Amino acid sequence: MKRLNILLMLILSLTSLNLLAETTSKPFAEKKVVLQISDPNPFKQTLVLNVANNLIKHYGPDKVDVEIVAFGPGLRLLMDGNANQKRISGLSNNGVRFAACKNTIAAFSKNLGHTPKLVKQATPVSAGVVRIIDLTSEGYTLVKP
Amino acid sequence: MNIKKATILAGLTLMSTQAYAANWLALQGTEKPNASARAKVWGFVQPEYQKTDGGELKAGPFSGQIMSPNVIRPDNTSTETFNIRRARIGVRGTGFPLDDKVNYFLLAEMGHNGITKLGKTGVALTDASITLNHIPGARVRVGQFKTPTAEEGLQAIHVFNYVNFTNVTNQMMLERYTDGDGSEVNGQPEFLADGVTPNPKWKPTGRFNGINGSVGAFRDQGIQVFDTFKVNKWEHSYAVMYGNGNGINREDNNNDKDTYVYWSSELLFGGKGARRQGLKMFAWNQSGTRTLTTSDAKGKGDYDRTRNGLGLTFLKGKYRAAAEYMTADGMIFNGSDGGAIPGSTNNAGDAQADINVLTEDKADGYYIDFGYKIIPKLELDLRYDVLNRGTETTAGERTFETITVGAQYFFNKKSRMTFNYEIRDQDAPGVPQSGAGSAPNQIADSLDDLLSLQLLVIF
Repeated sequence: MKRLNILLMLILSLTSLNLLAETTSKPFAEKKVVLQISDPNPFKQTLVLNVANNLIKHYGPDKVDVEIVAFGPGLRLLMDGNANQKRISGLSNNGVRFAACKNTIAAFSKNLGHTPKLVKQATPVSAGVVRIIDLTSEGYTLVKP
Repeated sequence: MNIKKATILAGLTLMSTQAYAANWLALQGTEKPNASARAKVWGFVQPEYQKTDGGELKAGPFSGQIMSPNVIRPDNTSTETFNIRRARIGVRGTGFPLDDKVNYFLLAEMGHNGITKLGKTGVALTDASITLNHIPGARVRVGQFKTPTAEEGLQAIHVFNYVNFTNVTNQMMLERYTDGDGSEVNGQPEFLADGVTPNPKWKPTGRFNGINGSVGAFRDQGIQVFDTFKVNKWEHSYAVMYGNGNGINREDNNNDKDTYVYWSSELLFGGKGARRQGLKMFAWNQSGTRTLTTSDAKGKGDYDRTRNGLGLTFLKGKYRAAAEYMTADGMIFNGSDGGAIPGSTNNAGDAQADINVLTEDKADGYYIDFGYKIIPKLELDLRYDVLNRGTETTAGERTFETITVGAQYFFNKKSRMTFNYEIRDQDAPGVPQSGAGSAPNQIADSLDDLLSLQLLVIF
């Protein structure tokens, strides 16, 4: 019985580890890329989405793990009703993740007088720059188009 | 709010956000949500060359002088000239990018044309508008901007496929503003009855009935409510506008306002922006009054000015087509005295050529236009247009027919060369073609063809 308990605990641990891994990255990804968008320029918004799309196209959705981190003026890319919302949805379906800086959300809220509504694909992170540092220390390549 | 209203409102919101920038109403002044710059600088330059044979008037009080349409606008001094037709620079965007619901559009003209020359200014503001996108299904634009009327005027000029407008658009829609109707100058009727001696004190003063400011440039100052709704493969747009009806860069000269109503429905084939592919059908109405001084019993008074139009545009792959039918009622531009250059003195030395305006008459016209890209960089164009002006009187009716043969060579997406040859014909159908009383037709026969070459660079 004790052995069975240990076995069950091991299975549970492995399963939870696997689930955790799946929520943060792609298990079969051979390349890991974090894309930074911190610029208000709309061309940069299009460009960062183009780069993500090109990575998916080149390596295949399962072979590359891409996360777009938006902070500062670049957070406009993730605001609800954005002209690029369809593309964001399409990329998200291919596994691209979108991180939104909480510090920027707070700053936007102060300027707007209300909390900005973000696209549903956006995941708030404590700080955009910290998220980038964390990902790069995990082996992600930082690209700032 | 009941469920039905909420559903309609939600539907409108959804549809309007999907079609944020897909037609002239939206492209010229509305920005993409959360994806537009605070200030985007852009513009274009259009140097050109135009030439006629410089044909002289064959009859009338100005016989022997060069016919007005045979000299090149706006200076009316040459029959062969280079000119910077348009040189425009603009800024557009969302002043406070976090609030993408407030957009602005500013455009200035530095070229040499009916805006700057007639407006007597080196630089003129053509557009200065603010668009508020807060109400679902009802965007609000305020300021000076293009009116929702004829396609040639409403479309972005840098994607216009020809050098010159059609007769019907040029004469009926590109408004010239005058103080009078041209029937009286300096206190005496310009044409004296036979046997009447001209006032001996009369001398050319330069104060002929000319154009009193910039051409309308298909723009007005006022407020417009509009929006665009995408339903499956169709896009429907509407616009309702209330404006001065007195052109650009000045206030109204009376208390009557112009109203504009516009509707378009477009079957979308693909693409985006100014060269989006689709089949668009549209209809519009403009209604207002103009204040003019006349020599009749009414004297200075307000005259109705109504315009209507309906048409279609088509663009798919190599093929392009457009057609529009327009009517005018009330006040109508009626050319210059005897076909002469406005301001020139007649051969008898007792009158200057005025700009004339029909105060209560009718006109109609149409154009059909085809384009075919034989290779990606070269498009061949063919356009036929007709204007029947002053149709309420037999003697006063004039018909203008033009066949334009053209070619556009695209160096790249932002620059092209346009070549046009206009085979122009004018007729006075209600008067004899020869013999007694045929002067209007002899004058009409003086009209030359027009050759034009224009280069465009957008930045």
